[in-house]
Amino acid sequence: MPPASLNITYSGRKGPMLGLALRTGLLTILTLGFYRFWAKTRLRRYYWSAIRPGGIPLEYVGDPLEKLLGFLVAVVFMAFYIGIVNLLLMYVSFALLNGNVAAYLLSFVGLAPIVFFAQYRARRYILARTRWRGIRFGLEPGAWGYAWRAMVHWGLAIVTLGLAWPLTTLWLEKYRISHTYYGDQVFVQGGRRGMLFGSMKHIYYPLGLSVIAGGMTAAFENPAWIAAFVLTVPWFVYGLAYWRADSFKRMTETKELGAMRFRTFPRPGKIVGIYALGWFLIYLVFTGLTLIAMGILLAAVGGAGFDIENPDQIEMMLAAGTPVLVFVYFVIFLGYRAMTHAWITLPIAAHFAEVTQILNAEDLHEITQRDRDEFAEAEGFAEALDVGAAI
Amino acid sequence: MTETQTRAAAFADFVAGERAVLTRVSVCLLAEGLELAQPDGQSVIWRWAELRAEPDQADKDALVISRSGDKVARLYLRDKNVKAQVRTRAPHLKKRDRAISVPKLVTWAGGAAASVAAIIFVLVPMMAAQLAVLLPPEGEKALGDTTFEQIRMALDETGLAGAAICEAPAGNAAMQAMYDRLNPASDLPYDIQIHILDHDMVNAFALPGGRIVFFRGLIEQAENPEEVAAVLAHEIGHVVNRDPTRDALRSAGSLGVLGLLFGDFAGGTIALFLANQLINASYSQSAEAVADDYAHELLDKAGVSPAALGTMFERLLAEHGDAEGIVAHFMSHPQMGERIAAAQAAVVEGQTYGSILEADAWRSLQTVCGGTSAVQSDQDLPDKKPWPGDD
Repeated sequence: MPPASLNITYSGRKGPMLGLALRTGLLTILTLGFYRFWAKTRLRRYYWSAIRPGGIPLEYVGDPLEKLLGFLVAVVFMAFYIGIVNLLLMYVSFALLNGNVAAYLLSFVGLAPIVFFAQYRARRYILARTRWRGIRFGLEPGAWGYAWRAMVHWGLAIVTLGLAWPLTTLWLEKYRISHTYYGDQVFVQGGRRGMLFGSMKHIYYPLGLSVIAGGMTAAFENPAWIAAFVLTVPWFVYGLAYWRADSFKRMTETKELGAMRFRTFPRPGKIVGIYALGWFLIYLVFTGLTLIAMGILLAAVGGAGFDIENPDQIEMMLAAGTPVLVFVYFVIFLGYRAMTHAWITLPIAAHFAEVTQILNAEDLHEITQRDRDEFAEAEGFAEALDVGAAI
Repeated sequence: MTETQTRAAAFADFVAGERAVLTRVSVCLLAEGLELAQPDGQSVIWRWAELRAEPDQADKDALVISRSGDKVARLYLRDKNVKAQVRTRAPHLKKRDRAISVPKLVTWAGGAAASVAAIIFVLVPMMAAQLAVLLPPEGEKALGDTTFEQIRMALDETGLAGAAICEAPAGNAAMQAMYDRLNPASDLPYDIQIHILDHDMVNAFALPGGRIVFFRGLIEQAENPEEVAAVLAHEIGHVVNRDPTRDALRSAGSLGVLGLLFGDFAGGTIALFLANQLINASYSQSAEAVADDYAHELLDKAGVSPAALGTMFERLLAEHGDAEGIVAHFMSHPQMGERIAAAQAAVVEGQTYGSILEADAWRSLQTVCGGTSAVQSDQDLPDKKPWPGDD
């Protein structure tokens, strides 16, 4: 019988993650994107296995070939849709509106239901391939139900200029969670309608203050108001982290799995710190690389006796520069991705995992296995639309 | 641990995958495999050849072992000695059992390829051809304006301002004079705007909405004004046939589909651009013949020998005869030869042809970008791109 409460330990480390992300990213570029199904699967295996509730790691059992197959399935259908729709939108936007922007907006609205549909299907695939203690998670079918609800709730959030976002978040989480299973046990998302509004307070306050301070600055030119206006920026940044931590806490602590409950104590300050440190390190690395590259360039130019007055040499330099530029582009792309994984995504996941506890786990052993969700399409649609999970 | 290699024993966590139960099993190393003994006395043997280790695990201290054929049972080995034994004795530890059958994968890959090919090469071009004719002139112009700016930006190596437009009034007036002599107005719903861009490339192209763009390289390379006029007539042919509009609509559709295929493996844009260029080049071949025919007729009416188009091609063919790279592949020599022959065949027997520009007007056209003369351009031939052969 398991103990009454299970702590979650985290065993992921930045170094190995950086290496894995660099290796898989390089292979993806070398194979013109073909390896991305393997890359994503391998990163997920690492991220999942790092999270160990009660000391037993989660397991991601997705198969890259299955993802490739799902992608091919999605291409068969989506190629038609995307090709024709893009062309028609371009035509309509220029025939009626003489401009390009309209086409993008229209295509966004046209794609929205499919995006939500694809996100739900991707979640279903990911949960179906996630296990803990040998038991599968699962998400019941319901992608179209999710898509129209998401449209309504997002519409509400947009109409209210984002003020209703806490409501949107909670409603959609309720839909997703009430369709989520661990083995044969369904999850329940509790919480009253207004539950998440409090989590937004550090976003509402600085926004309100900035409106007042901005108006006062415009009217009176008092430096105190300008200072207040400037101060709302860091407050707003803190507010974003606070929202992330506090909404997670409120939603997690109202989740139920049978008799099980959850406790979590994420800290907004820690989240701000992780992002600040991560971005600082990335900045440092790129600055260092730039300095080294400049040094090499200067040495090469000096060694060749470069004559700035000679246009032929400039042209030669430019010709030689193109492959270098392509190389630099890939280095930046690859490096940024890998460093984001190692220094932001992973520490954030570590923080949320380590502050979370499972309570009342005595009856865990009564949960039984669920059938495998064969799911030929995998997350192909999300992949095709590029709206899949970040990892 | 224990004394004999064969019966070295340790304890490990085990999940059978039927219930969310964690069992502590004792693990014994036998000659044929691992023996897992349950607390209740039951035991199973996992043969060495059946053992698989889960890859990409974050926790390096635990080896997660599964058994080939059993999808859910897992053994979490932490004992150093047993892990080492398993690593040396299990021959297929790293093998991945494939769940997806290859024929199925091949079938869907074929389906995806067929679907994409049908859409890019048949459906999208067909629709683009239909819609290009229906697009109102204002829409076409808006489309042309957008494309023109994009192309200018793409051509400028610094990427800051866009390639410069050559403004010299005398040269532009000479170009306009040639256009007036050709006088295609009756075929067009809008006036043609001709731009000369300060760029080495020996090329000219037409954009939607009646914009025609010449590069300085082409004007410098031409031996007489008739050759430039021939190229101008050819580009007007493209405008009359709505080729640029069709192209723009088509690439809107096919770019979307290609984006779907490549994902965002490197920000995506580079691969997308290159792939679309490939399709472009092979696509416009049939349109070229039509534009050539139109040019022959227009030149003949204006009293300029249609053979000028041929001589332009001919010299370019002689100079860049062994054209390198992808472009050469798509502008195969036989086809170029045919175009030259067609130009010569278009010369009407007994017709007398004259010059299209006075000598001084021709000189001002050649120096429209402020350059000195055409002679200099012959020296740096290797820098020039071969004639791409299409718009």
